[in-house]
This record gives sequence, structure tokens and C-alpha cells, in this order.
Amino acid sequence: MLTMAEAIREAMCIAFDERPEVFLLGEDVGIYGGAFGVSADMYHRYGAERVLDTPIAELGIVGAAVGAALSGMRPIVEIQFSDFTAQAMDQIANQAAKIHFMLGGALHVPMVLRTPQGSGTGAAAQHSQNLEPWFASVPGLKVVVPSNPADAKGLLLSSIDDPNPVIFLEHKLLYKIPGRDPVPEGSTRIPLGVSKVVREGKDLTIVATGIMVNKAWEVCEKLSAEGISITLIDPRTISPLDMQPVFESVDKTGRLLVVQEGPAHAGFINEVIAQMAGSASFGSLIAPIKRLAGMNIPIPYAPQLEKAAVPQIEDIEIAAREIVKNWR
Amino acid sequence: MGHPLSSPAHARHALLYMWRIRKFEEAVEDLFGRGMMHGTMHLSIGQEASPTGMCMALTLQDQITSTHRGHGHCIAKGADLTRMIAELLGKEIGYCGGRGGSMHIADVETGNLGANGVVGGGIPIAAGAALASKMMKKGIASVSFFGDGAMNEGAFHEAANLAAIWKLPMILFCENNKYGMSSSTEKAFAIDNLADRGKGYGIPAVNVDGNDVVDVYEQAKIAVERAKSGEGPTLIIAETYRWKGHSRSDKNLYRTKEEIEEWRERDPIPKFTSKIIEAGLMTKKQCDAIAQEATDAIIAAVNESVKAKPADPAGLLDAVFKKASA
Amino acid sequence: MSFKYPVVMPKMSMTMETGELIIFHVKVGDHVKSGDVLFEVMTDKIDMEVDAPADGVIDSLLAEPGAVIEIGKPVLIMLTDTEVMAFDFGNEEVGAVQEEQIEQVEVKITPPAAAVILNESVKAVPKARSEAAKRGVDLRTIAATGPDKTITMHDVNNAQVDPAMAARQKANRALIAKGIEMSRGIAQASFSRTVNSDFDTATLIRAWAGVLRSRPDLAIHPHVGVALIIESKYGSALPVFKDPDHLAHEDLKALVASTSEAAKNGKVPLAMLTGATTTIFDVSRYSMNSSTPLLFPNQVTSLTVGYGTESEKNISLTIDLNFCDFYDGALLLDALVASITKH
Repeated sequence: MLTMAEAIREAMCIAFDERPEVFLLGEDVGIYGGAFGVSADMYHRYGAERVLDTPIAELGIVGAAVGAALSGMRPIVEIQFSDFTAQAMDQIANQAAKIHFMLGGALHVPMVLRTPQGSGTGAAAQHSQNLEPWFASVPGLKVVVPSNPADAKGLLLSSIDDPNPVIFLEHKLLYKIPGRDPVPEGSTRIPLGVSKVVREGKDLTIVATGIMVNKAWEVCEKLSAEGISITLIDPRTISPLDMQPVFESVDKTGRLLVVQEGPAHAGFINEVIAQMAGSASFGSLIAPIKRLAGMNIPIPYAPQLEKAAVPQIEDIEIAAREIVKNWR
Repeated sequence: MGHPLSSPAHARHALLYMWRIRKFEEAVEDLFGRGMMHGTMHLSIGQEASPTGMCMALTLQDQITSTHRGHGHCIAKGADLTRMIAELLGKEIGYCGGRGGSMHIADVETGNLGANGVVGGGIPIAAGAALASKMMKKGIASVSFFGDGAMNEGAFHEAANLAAIWKLPMILFCENNKYGMSSSTEKAFAIDNLADRGKGYGIPAVNVDGNDVVDVYEQAKIAVERAKSGEGPTLIIAETYRWKGHSRSDKNLYRTKEEIEEWRERDPIPKFTSKIIEAGLMTKKQCDAIAQEATDAIIAAVNESVKAKPADPAGLLDAVFKKASA
Repeated sequence: MSFKYPVVMPKMSMTMETGELIIFHVKVGDHVKSGDVLFEVMTDKIDMEVDAPADGVIDSLLAEPGAVIEIGKPVLIMLTDTEVMAFDFGNEEVGAVQEEQIEQVEVKITPPAAAVILNESVKAVPKARSEAAKRGVDLRTIAATGPDKTITMHDVNNAQVDPAMAARQKANRALIAKGIEMSRGIAQASFSRTVNSDFDTATLIRAWAGVLRSRPDLAIHPHVGVALIIESKYGSALPVFKDPDHLAHEDLKALVASTSEAAKNGKVPLAMLTGATTTIFDVSRYSMNSSTPLLFPNQVTSLTVGYGTESEKNISLTIDLNFCDFYDGALLLDALVASITKH
């Protein structure tokens, strides 16, 4: 079964083959095959004309991607760590996100910015961030967070198809592992803006993003054996966000637990809570909404500290049990 | 387009466009003063020769990116005056449907990829457009207009380097009006000659008199030929002067009256008008008529725009993303 | 005129404790007919006109417009010959009995001492709030077992009945019990027949009214009023359908349905609480074959409908022997069965 890196590469190659205007640019993506090996071999397969190694110049390369996108190409720009999108923020947030709107629809930016995010590799504070809210809060950007290889492939192909700028956030820890489900073969797509109900239950609804989907899955399996059945929802696209399955599920279960890796304060998952609190389904709640998220600290270096900084499977299990037990 | 002094037609074009820019900016100043325009305006009165000369060396398909002080670039590249004024007045028929304003006007048909409210924002974008031209073998060049202030932005550095290493068909056109808001180039640069920066990237650089449309054109033509023949980018430093303040909120506190007077004498329009007459291409009367023609065009544009329908908030949410075509 | 009937401040909502008297439409000495508007009252939720329950004369006005009056307390007294309420016991005692009934209906809502949450803002999960409101349960009376003293759904589901409702139920039971006691003193006999037919309540009411009307010699009232016992969470209600045989069948059907619905929620229009000349007890819908015959004073007859089989029902007629012979009773029952099976 394909790992997430392989699935992403497969999607890029399919896109390359289908559309001559698709190309990849970024630091070390060509000859080296990508810092995380995602574009391995693409340089040899497609050549320097379509796989461009760039100097270390995030602002310049994202800007060049924007300009190329305006002019008829469909660039995939890889930023080596999501933390470095900070260098490129003008081109991402002030240019790409706003061009279509500001210019009254005269131009659009069909660009995908792929970047690894997240903690757990001991890379410490400046190489481990989860910056979902940075992008999700900018109107004009679409933001995709795949949790497994099968989704990653389908979502990336849809992102490349999309005529708007898409930020595609890949978790470093997921690159080398296969998912639970096999990656479908061929040129198949998963639409953006559609949440996935990963499993259904009646006692609790869990909404989780990225790597937390897989941790939550383990908890669902374990608790299911004890008769606690849980609905697990993976938004997949965090902007635009599809809340419909969440409302429907909470109407049935009455309990909501949201889980994200990024720091709790002003994090993306708060959007799920905010929408729930203002919705008709609020009246279905038989328990307060529970949030599990990262600590409000930069990611520390030592492994035990790094682990303590973000929710782990045990934390999710404890929270799930508590909410079901205390709120009948 | 050919050299401004190569024929009456070319001379007329150059003079007309400079007047169009001048009259446009004066009209904007007037409308703004009357409270009819929202926000702020960045006027380029006195700098008309640079965009006019540069754009005469380009075709319609060649692309430009512009700055917050971009009305001149827009007009020189062929924008519709009514749609420009309408945008500044927040009307539906404006270039951006009232959503962008002065600093974000783009005109795809004339190759204008948009003015930019972020200093230096358009430079990497122009590099990207040039990259696309190369990859798609379009054979077009892209020009990034920017001011002296932008040369100290990281974006300039990164884009210039990319253009140089990839030999992009690009022209980096700096309108050095000696001031980035209030800091003069003397204070913002440790070098005297901004063109020296080109060496740092391996990009040939030239100084031109930004107020002499002929000088600008001649250097622009060379740069365009270099670009289109695959030789890569050129850095043009056009010395000019901004005779009104940075924007409407300026109070001209940082220049002396003498400085301002000196440069009024270098006004590009009378300068070129003299050259036309000297060369016997047109008479003074014909030149005056051109000024009047420009005035009439602006007045017509303003009249039409003022009557137009204001932009409607109803469509706002739908305007963020482009819809995928089936 | 025989009776002094106090017209009281009605309770118009679950939480209403007082109402404001807005205006009188009558003065002392006015002759009124049943249904005429006597006065208007208001609470923060509802405005209402209070009608005369019977024909009569205004005897005295007991309050001034603008006065705030507790529910159940009298607003005016009228003199009437007509029996009011479901029970008319035929003598002066009525006044006293009715006073008693009114006392029982008047209930203040005070939180019970135990397990009460003393602060005004009560914490409850969203669904518990809406559920409690729907059931008319005051959150302040529910013991919270959730974290941070928050009321959970579990708590709401196990909550005790609202004391106001309990009091109302108690009052209602007392009323019925009193009536039954009095009924024991009446010389009566019962007999029954099986009816092999499907009939709905409206049909039964209509048919019975028609049968009674055909025997004016057996009646003690000029009109026919059929009371129907309906069980609600507040106890038994006895809405009276006056002259139901004069209504079109569909209209009577609709009236029966809407009145039943209202009665189940404890809301019977005042006008339908009086004028019964006979009562129907339908225990078939509880799968009972029969039940103790109940005959109310001042009603010559009553019917009980019991469950026989899927296609059969038992109808039992009870007669007041002071006004009706065995033979006439048998004829009445015969006529009823014939009328029902004809449809």
C-alpha cells in the first residue's frame, strides 16, 4: 500500500501527464527529490523544464508561482517547512488570496502550495508548527489537510484542478506510513469542501484534523469494543468547511469532542465549535463541547516535552470516556 | 511601437499618452479634493515619460505589473479611462467592480497584471509571468515597474536573482523619484548609483533620464530585445521626480521649495513638446490640440463614470473564489 | 335564582400566578346569557375575555379595573338557575363546595425545600433546558448530578413532577371523588348490550344525543349536553358537547378531536365545563371490557363503553331510577344500538 508521500507523488505525476501547464518548483525538489522525498524521481522523469530547483527564496518563488499562475501555468510550489511560509506571506496572503477578488475577477491564481507541517520529529520550534489558522483565516485561500494517503491523492488532484490558490498541508509523520485504506488507482479525485464521516456511532461525535484523525480512530476502535460507539468526522478541507455532517451527527449523539494538533488559542478547530454554538444543533447538546488541542507553547525539543505539547491517543481516550460517562 | 521621434504618428502617440496621464492625475486630484473619492490616491504627476516610453517599446501582449502609484503605467499600457475613473469612484463598471480601488487596477486585455498595494509585491509576480512566457514559449516580455523604495525589499532581491539565474524575459524598471514615502534615496541606500545593484545579480543595468520619453524609449527598446532574444533581464533606473507628495495625506514637508521648482523645469511634457517641434514633426498648435484631446477624453470619462451605477454589495461573497468551469 | 356563582380569575398559563383585571363589560343587575363577555383580564403572556358560563344576573362586582388578582379568586358573582361545572348538586351547598374547589385550584409555585438550586441562574445542558421547558418542569426544582452542578438529560428525565401540576392533579381528583360519593346516593341500575359495529366517538355522541332527545319525557333538562370523560396528565376532564346532534357530523368530529387535544393538555374552554345532562365513559381504548357505572347527580343517564373484541364493543347504560324505569332504559339502549349500527 502506498505511503502518503508516494500517494502525493502519484497525484503530481498524474497531473503532470494530464496537463502540460502543471509544474513543480521549490527548494531541493528536483535533483534531490524533495526534503521529504515526495518528488523523488520526478526530475528524471519530467526534466528541469517542469521540476524547478530554486534558491532559498520563499517570497520570490511563491511570487513567481503567482505570476506564472496569472499567465496560464498551474504551478505546484513546495515550501520545505510550513514554518517558512512566513517568509512568503505577502505573496500568499496579500497577493494570491486577494487577486481574484481585488481585481474584480479579471485574473485568478490556480496555484497549489504544498508544505509539510506538524511536530513529532524533534525538529523543534521553528520546524514543527501547525499553522492552519494562519491560512484558514485569510479569505481567498482554500486550505486542505489530508489525514491519509488515499485522501491525499484525491484531494491533491482536486486542488490542482481548482482555479484558486490552495494551501495543501501535509503532516511530516504521515509521509512514510501507509493508511488504513488502499490508495485508489488512476486519476480519481476527492472534492474539496466535503467532510468525511470516517465512522458512525451514537454516543459521541469527534471532529479531528490531520494526524489527529488517525489517533482518534484508535480510540474509536478501542472504545467500540466496550460498547461506546463514536462518530469520527474528518473535515479534510478546513476552508471552506463543510459542517453539515457535524450538525447531523451531534443531533444524534448530543456530544462533541474536537481535536487538533495546533495550539488551542485561536486555533482552527475553534471554527467548528463556533459554528456549532450558533447552530440549531446546539439544542441537541447534552454535554458541553470538549476541545483537545496543542498547548499554547512553541514546540519543545526533547521527545517527552514534544509529546506533552500536543494531544496523544491517551488524551483523546480519556476525554472521550469522560464526556460519555459524566453527561448522560 | 516605434521611436517617439520616428514619425508624426509616433510623436503624437507619445505626447497624447503623456497628456492623458497628466490630465487623468489632475482630474483625480480634483475629484479627490471634492470628497468624491474614497481612500487615498497616489499621484504620479511629473513622472509621465517613464511609463509612456517603456510601454511604447512593448506590444499589447507584453505584460506589466505596477505599483500603488500605478495610474500612469495603466494608461500607458492602454487602459480604458472610463473604467479607471469608475473604479476610483467605486462603480460597477470599474475595472475591479469597485472592489480594488486605485492600487489594484488590472487590465488583462492590455497585458496589465495589476497594480499592487504592497511595495515590491509585483516584482516576483512579474518574474513568474516571465517564467510562464518562457515555459509556454509565448515570446513575450514582462516589465515590473517599481520605485526606489522597493529596491530594498526582500521581494526585489529574490525576484531579481531568479530572473538572472533563469534568464527570464523580464525588465526591472525602477522609477527613482528619490523618495520612498519620506526617506530619500540618500538615506536609504549606501550607494550613490542604484544601477550598481545590477552587478550584484549579474543583471545589466542602465540609468535613464526618466523625464525624457526619448531616452526612456531607447533604453527600453534595448532591454525588450534582450529579453525576447533569451538574454535575460535588464535593470533600468529611471531618474524622475514626484511633484506631488507621496499620497493625498502628504504635506510636502520633506522637500524644499527650491528642489520642487528645479524639477518643475524638467517637466517631461514641455520637454518632449519642444523636441517634437524642433524635429518638425508637429506644430505647436497641433501639440496644443493633443493636450485638448487628452483633456476632452478625461472629461468624458469622468462624466460617464459619475453617472454609472455604484458597486453592489450583493455579489461580495461570490467574488472571492473563481468558480471551476465544468 | 338558585345559585350564587363566583366567576374567578382564570389560570391561563402554567406559570401564571396573578392576572390583571382590565375592564368589566357588565354592571350589577345586568342580565347575561351564557357566552356573553363579563370582563377582560391580562397576564404578561395572554389577554383573555371571560364569558358567562350560564344565563343569569350580575349580583356583585368584587374588584376594580386595574386590580391584580390571584388566580382562582372571584372577580364577580352572578346569580343563575343553570347548574354550572360538571356537577350540580342541586342545592345551596353548591356555593360552599365550589368555594372549596376554587381554593384547591389556587396554587403558588414555590420550589420544594430539598434538592433545590438556590441561585437564579441554573446550569443545564442545552437539550435539558429545552426538554424541561417542554415538560413544564422548573429547572430550579431539579437536582443536578452533572459536573459543576450542571443539570443533565438524566436529571431532567428523572425529575419529579412540577408541584403546581401535582396540586392541580390533587384538586381534580378531589372533585371527581366528591361527585362519585354523591352518585352512590342515587337509586340506579345498569344493563348492557354488545354492539357489533365500528363507531367513532363523534358518532356515539351524536346517536346518544338523538336518542335522548327523542324521549323528552325522561329528561329533566330542556337541552341535551353530553359530557365525555378524557384523561390528561392533570387528571380527568369532562368537556360537555351541547346539543351535539344539531351539528353536522364532520363538524362534531372536528370538535371532538380538538376538544380532546385541549383536554389532554389541561385546557378545556370554560363554556364547555357546564351543561351536562349525560356522561359517556369510554374505557374501551384502555382495553377495559367494563368499568364501575358512574352516574352523576342531575343527570338521568350515563354510558360506559367497554372493549369486547376487535369488532365488538360493550355499551352499558346506567339510569337514575327516580326519573327512568327499567323498561324505558332498555328502550333507550335499544334505540342507541339501532342508531349506531344503522350508520
